[in-house]
Amino acid sequence: MSRRGSLKPTLLLCGLLFGLGTPAASGAESPAAPQVDFHREVLPILSRHCARCHTSGKHEGGLAIDNRQKLLAGGDSGPALVVGKSDKSLLIGLVSGRDPEKVMPAEGRKLTADEIGTLRSWIDQGAPWEEGLSLSAFPTASWEPRRVELPPAPAGAAVASNPIDRLLAPYFAHHKIAPPAVVSDRVFARRAYLDLVGLMPSHVEIEAFEKDSQADKRRALVQRLLASREQYAIHWMSFWNDALRNDYKGPGYIDGGRKQITGWLYKALAENKPFDQFVRELVAPPNDESAGFVKGIVWRGVVNASQRPEMQAAQHVSQVFLGINLKCASCHDSFVSEWKLDDAYALASVFADKPLEVHRCDAPLKRTVEPRFLSAKLGKVDPKASLPERRKQVAEILTSPQDGRLARTIVNRLWARLLGRGLVEPVDSMDNPPWNAELLDFLATDLVDHKYDLQHTLELILTSQAYQLPSVGATSATEKDFVFRGPLVKRVSAEQFIDAVSTITGVWQPANGFKPPKKKAAAGAAPDFSAVGIRSALAIGDPLARALGRPNREQVITSREPVATTLQVLELTNGTTLDKMLKQGAERRLKESPGPAEGLIEAVYLRALMRRPEPKELETARGLVGTPATPDGVQDLMWTLMMLPEFQLIE
Amino acid sequence: MTYPTSRRDFLKTASAATLAALASGAPRLSFAAADKAPAAKADTLILLWMGGGMAHTETFDPKRFVEFRKGMSAKEVLSTFPSIDTVVDNIKISKGLENVAKVMDRGTLIRTQVGADLGKILHSRHQFHWHTGYEPPVTVAAPHLGAWIARARGANNPAIPAFIDINQPYEGNGEAEEIKAFQTGGFLGSEFGPFRVPRPDQAMASVRPPAGMSVERFRKRQEAYHKLLLESPAVRNGSDYQRESLLRSIENTNRLLNSPAAAAFDLAKEPKESYDKYNTGHFGRGCLLARRLTEAGARFIEVTSEYVPFFGWDTHDNGHTRLVEMKRQIDAPIAQLVLDLEARGLLDRTLIVLASEFSRDVLVEGKPDVLVPGQVDQPDVIQELKYFGMHRHFTSAGSVLMFGGGVKKGLLYGRTADERPCTTIENPVSITDLHATIYQLMGISPRYQLEIEQRPFYVTKDGKGKPIAAILS
Repeated sequence: MSRRGSLKPTLLLCGLLFGLGTPAASGAESPAAPQVDFHREVLPILSRHCARCHTSGKHEGGLAIDNRQKLLAGGDSGPALVVGKSDKSLLIGLVSGRDPEKVMPAEGRKLTADEIGTLRSWIDQGAPWEEGLSLSAFPTASWEPRRVELPPAPAGAAVASNPIDRLLAPYFAHHKIAPPAVVSDRVFARRAYLDLVGLMPSHVEIEAFEKDSQADKRRALVQRLLASREQYAIHWMSFWNDALRNDYKGPGYIDGGRKQITGWLYKALAENKPFDQFVRELVAPPNDESAGFVKGIVWRGVVNASQRPEMQAAQHVSQVFLGINLKCASCHDSFVSEWKLDDAYALASVFADKPLEVHRCDAPLKRTVEPRFLSAKLGKVDPKASLPERRKQVAEILTSPQDGRLARTIVNRLWARLLGRGLVEPVDSMDNPPWNAELLDFLATDLVDHKYDLQHTLELILTSQAYQLPSVGATSATEKDFVFRGPLVKRVSAEQFIDAVSTITGVWQPANGFKPPKKKAAAGAAPDFSAVGIRSALAIGDPLARALGRPNREQVITSREPVATTLQVLELTNGTTLDKMLKQGAERRLKESPGPAEGLIEAVYLRALMRRPEPKELETARGLVGTPATPDGVQDLMWTLMMLPEFQLIE
Repeated sequence: MTYPTSRRDFLKTASAATLAALASGAPRLSFAAADKAPAAKADTLILLWMGGGMAHTETFDPKRFVEFRKGMSAKEVLSTFPSIDTVVDNIKISKGLENVAKVMDRGTLIRTQVGADLGKILHSRHQFHWHTGYEPPVTVAAPHLGAWIARARGANNPAIPAFIDINQPYEGNGEAEEIKAFQTGGFLGSEFGPFRVPRPDQAMASVRPPAGMSVERFRKRQEAYHKLLLESPAVRNGSDYQRESLLRSIENTNRLLNSPAAAAFDLAKEPKESYDKYNTGHFGRGCLLARRLTEAGARFIEVTSEYVPFFGWDTHDNGHTRLVEMKRQIDAPIAQLVLDLEARGLLDRTLIVLASEFSRDVLVEGKPDVLVPGQVDQPDVIQELKYFGMHRHFTSAGSVLMFGGGVKKGLLYGRTADERPCTTIENPVSITDLHATIYQLMGISPRYQLEIEQRPFYVTKDGKGKPIAAILS
């Protein structure tokens, strides 16, 4: 299968590393020199050592190597290579340093003998290149924060006073997009409730909100929801449990190889702990409560060197907080990024209580590296310091205002969560270019300016026009030429779905997971959540939650499956979990509204869809619930409404 | 279904994979997946999983038989059962497997599965390795063998789920969480995850309306849904891939539930005479269900002997006595499954694989050269029958039985020592190569890969599995 267009080399093949550049040695099975694999062996060398100065519009010495044609055409000193003849190829002469005055690459380390051997074999074999493939350097993003100047607010436009919209105005103008009017109060309220507290609003709340004549009522609603700290915390538990691979049950707990951080996490969210502090307590746990994240999952027995707990800590810290994938580099120098084996070991060594021997592809190299952070410029780790001290040092570096990546990574995650797609995608690859760098950098510095207050960023985004645009259906979310036109349609999460079912049926979850400390209801202004029982996020994952996408949390999960699947619908259709909830719920609702079927149908519609049925719908529903209404009929109506896209999708 | 034509056409053509691929970060076929798919020799794979560690010397690789005596030395014990002849001259197996002995000419017996050296024996960790090809922990969620096959080859019959997992209970199972970690679609997503049938007798519950709901009521509910879908104001709005995927999944579910093929799940429909041949317990009935589903067009079925710590094959005590019962449970159904598929002309295109995560021994824990901490109380001198049996975990040899699609008939592959340690001495088979063989027979390259987190993830570990040429027919 071949994809057109510009491609990064995207290969990693653990174990074959030793085969790189030594084609003769690995030819045991076939006597002829084995074919060099262009993708796996040649592309990484060119990308890492040559691409920065010779691709993507740069042509030092007149040489560009974006594609084979350009490479063959050569530069100021003539053709870069002679196909089939590595000895006569300028490229080989330059990289092997025949003329000590002219050695390539001009910056960075020189090529190893193995790498030169690979290039030689490749040239001798005809320098094959995949058609349509365009070479580029590994993307790398800066560590530094960048302060962005806001464009002036357009005169008279009140809504554009939100910095996000001021930043997006030139973007929309550039793409010739006239942003449509923002969504209705009803759509906005449903979005805001689900995004901030994970619950659907009641029709009473929606109608009151629609009638509210305050000019700034949307901001007021956002603030009220953010102030509902208990529900806010429960909702965001799912996001963080996925990311920090924390769960109430799972492999590892059986023999103490794993530790929950649930109590700490709930408290941190309910207190809206500043994000820098949040990260510091996870990376350098001041006590046992938050120690589970860097502890990892400790398996009894022998574990591949790239998965020992210290390395898990390095991988998780870099993935979750910096959007850096160290997994490849935990085993060998990465083929898809700049990260080296030693970088991964240096960070892992911070979390090690004794020196960590470097292993390449699980084979010991009889050496260690000094503990350090991924960016040495940001600060030093004292190799002689104690383990807690080293963790503290790296936590300080990670959360220092000079580390722009920490803030960019979290604001990008929030943006992705709220608008369905990140400013950078995938959200764990923060070296990829954002579709709007100004916006990303602004949101990041703005978070730091507001003392890492995540609720501030949430409020900023929710009150922007950008968030309030009508949703769009994705055609291709990974396209390089993605253009932002509004939030993507989202599907309710497992927890949101189950909580909504609970709201409709009055049947909540068993207390088998985490029990948050009982708080007094928030004063006055907050929405009334007194009818809310134990929510799905706090319960042990049952077959329904799992089918709907609640993941196994042995790995860091930062985005869930975005689409429905057959097995999910099957679970909804004949699974016992939902069936039991609906059965109980139907009986309860019937007892509450014993009158004519119409009233009951209306009540179910209002709870599920926050609207009254239209005449045709009422007729169909009446046929379903029976006259007089039966428990079976009511249950079936509930089920039917829950299966509608109107219920399951967030417009 | 009464969707507008354009939608229906879209739903027909858009597979879950294409819809999922629209989403950012979803796994996709790597552009370098140059390895051509080999020609498939089998269309269905039935994995008969002997969870808990099936001792090779007590089943398919018998050694010198020593009867129980009070005061015997543990060192004397190699096999606690005599061996019996099979229909293949050079293959002898253990007493209690008389029915399998009669069909041995239909398949290949591998005696030298060598497990990974994990330094400590944990059933769940070795089972994870066997089912995914990767030793835990893994940096991404590794898919189960069945999920890979579902992903690479799709459903065989659209009305039968591509990956069916039969007879592995989670309820009350001390290692349920550990099992769930590998009984999953992993990063391939839930579309390729297992369709679970915890008990074969209750399989119909998985494909019919919820308990207590009549077929008539169920049908009425579906009808009302389709009407309300069309009447709902939201459906009049434009479409998007979220909505399409939901509606497509609903359509697939209806197809599954209303298909005549769903009757395959109903063991009550099996003639009594045939049913009785399989009726040795949950596992036996699981084999019957596997046969019925194979006839209906399943792609991948795992029937487990039900792994629960210290039960079934996990004999930490009473090894001899308990194996009498285990063999009774598996012997007749396995043979019958082979014969039935053969009689129906399906055996040639069905691959049956019987395997376990590792073997057992009386004395050796782990490998003969790399002993790991023991977990069993096993005295050197045996005074009681309960100490007579294979109570320790042994990883350097183990038996695998393969029948049907593409494997040699009547072949014995690999040799183990006749004296303790009864370890592999000829033709070792790693789990990676065993998987490569299975994938190859199923028409999937051992280097089949998907790109996840910007790197290729291979169906056999790092793409290194090599099919065992000697056993391919």
